[in-house]
Amino acid sequence: MALSKVVLVKGKGVLNQNNAIDQRKLLQMYSKGLELLFNSKSPQEGMQHLFKSSDKVGIKINTIGGKNISTRPEVSHSLSNLLVGSGILERNLIIWDRTNRELREAGYRLRTNRNVLKVHGTDTQLPWGGYNPDLISHLNIGSRFSRIQSNFVNSSISLAILKDHGMAGVTAGMKNYFGAIHNPNKYHDTNCDPYVAELFETEPIKKKHKLSILDCLVVQYHRGPSYHPRWAKENETLIFGTDPVATDFVGWHVIEQLRSENGLPSLKEENREPKYLRTAEKMGLGNANLKDITLIEEEI
Amino acid sequence: MKRRQFFKTAGGAALLTSSGMCSFLMDLYALSSEENLSKVEARYYKKHPDREIECELCPRFCKLGDKERGYCGVRENIGGDYYTLVYGKPCSLNDDPIEKKPFFHYLPGNRTISVATAGCNVNCKFCQNWEISQVRPEQVQNYDVSPDALVDIAQKYNCPVIAYTYSEPIIFYEYMYDTSVKARRKGIKNVVITGGYINPEPLLELTKVVDAIKVDLKAFSQDFYTSYVKGKLEPVLEAIKIIAQSNVWMEIVYLVIPTLNDSTKELRGVCQWIMKEIGPDVPIHFSRFHPMYLIKNLPSTPISTLEKAHKIALQEGLRYAYIGNVPGHRAESTYCPKCHNTVVQRVGYKIQKSDITAGRCRNCSTPIPGIWS
Repeated sequence: MALSKVVLVKGKGVLNQNNAIDQRKLLQMYSKGLELLFNSKSPQEGMQHLFKSSDKVGIKINTIGGKNISTRPEVSHSLSNLLVGSGILERNLIIWDRTNRELREAGYRLRTNRNVLKVHGTDTQLPWGGYNPDLISHLNIGSRFSRIQSNFVNSSISLAILKDHGMAGVTAGMKNYFGAIHNPNKYHDTNCDPYVAELFETEPIKKKHKLSILDCLVVQYHRGPSYHPRWAKENETLIFGTDPVATDFVGWHVIEQLRSENGLPSLKEENREPKYLRTAEKMGLGNANLKDITLIEEEI
Repeated sequence: MKRRQFFKTAGGAALLTSSGMCSFLMDLYALSSEENLSKVEARYYKKHPDREIECELCPRFCKLGDKERGYCGVRENIGGDYYTLVYGKPCSLNDDPIEKKPFFHYLPGNRTISVATAGCNVNCKFCQNWEISQVRPEQVQNYDVSPDALVDIAQKYNCPVIAYTYSEPIIFYEYMYDTSVKARRKGIKNVVITGGYINPEPLLELTKVVDAIKVDLKAFSQDFYTSYVKGKLEPVLEAIKIIAQSNVWMEIVYLVIPTLNDSTKELRGVCQWIMKEIGPDVPIHFSRFHPMYLIKNLPSTPISTLEKAHKIALQEGLRYAYIGNVPGHRAESTYCPKCHNTVVQRVGYKIQKSDITAGRCRNCSTPIPGIWS
């Protein structure tokens, strides 16, 4: 498999003293990350490598952790603005997660109008809401998919929050798609391995996934996925990659580094390293090995 | 008057379902499911530091952080306390013959109010009711039916039995338990249809308030439980032993799936185990599999395979072996182990003839174990 490029952009000061986001700085982080990832002159030009203007693009976020540890509205709306700037029609964009309740709790204002950027959960009663009744069976997976993922969008971005996860080890861009199916609770045994990889390989995800962006502005590096301020670090970082496995692999190492800095045992020592990344690599979904990843780190 | 109020005041004027199963007034009183979840504190869990909990209801022992749900999908850690989301929130409520459960030695010919909520603590790839068992409660229509209301419905429809069934009643333990206590006070019996994946302590408590339990023993090998059930065999066997030692009537079902759990060795093994640990009088039903859910690549079980299982059971000394899901088969009926008189003749769920008096064969007076009236 060819080398995978992953870009890690640190934006010192993107979180101010009140934990609010400096929008300008955030936009700089996005710009730099996408330009470096695509070797492009602008983030919009970078996006055009991935998306056609006629594409319907879903931004799958993660809001299960509530206001303190979810993909923030500023982060997802900045991305949607960049997509619009690259030529995607606003009405063909959707920021989404499992439920409207979780979105609201994470600070999102729901928008369901057909002609604008949509922001809502799978549980919205719209033609593209709910779960597709067709059961998709693949290896150990048997699930119904959110109609947003299976029917509405033809391209998908996983804009996940990076967190430690008591069962999976790490939850990042690939595991974020657990929120695209009706029964994620069935796939947490054995450190979510091989379920994360096998779910990613299903047609509604593998065919549509184009880009992983990990929101590491605040990283829950221990006792996740719930929010515990004691182990949540303002990390002020975004990670970008088109290889979903490599991007998560880099995210995993961010968590390990924070754990090490704080005197915590590694995930391997706690017997919960994200084995699903190795499985994903074996399945040919991407690289889970530093020697196969070109990591570009930039600080703004 | 709103639908919910109507249903409440109607005191059980309807039998409801969201599972597609037969019922009287389907969906007439469907409520929006999004907000229709309960928040009743769960039983059998341990609190850990940092708002984490450990569920002790079933052998999974799910360890959950704040806002996380267990494997069953219906029990959630909310701020460090653990809640059942389906207390009094069934998604399916029907009027079934008790033979459908199946119970063949427990109040034959009676009807049951059969109730289920969404959710299950295993994930059988051959589940018949996966559309309610393998979903979260938000994904089906739920109804407001408190334990009192459920007992009222049973009385109104002259059903002497409430059956907790369809999905996996263990995951709605609190609702089942409280309803059973109230039902008993009104002279209504309680029967449980379960996979038996429950820890000893809650099971022992449950046996004090229910009257009969049917256990689905899904195979007799851990490999099968790992691959096709996503659980462990040993706790189920332990549960069967606990039930056998209680005052609760028990029957066992073994769904025979071609090539997966139908070898002579495995069938003989399960029969020998039952004979040794439980004894010859527990009814065992070898049920016919039909392609379903995630196993659609196998044929329905050949009748000859079921007959093989039935024969093995009799050879091993089990006195009451049945063949299920084959309406009209001779092995649907109960025979006196001594004189071979047909003591209960069944076709499908119907009783054609009963030749039992005071729990004995009318021909030779041999006791036939069971609760007959």
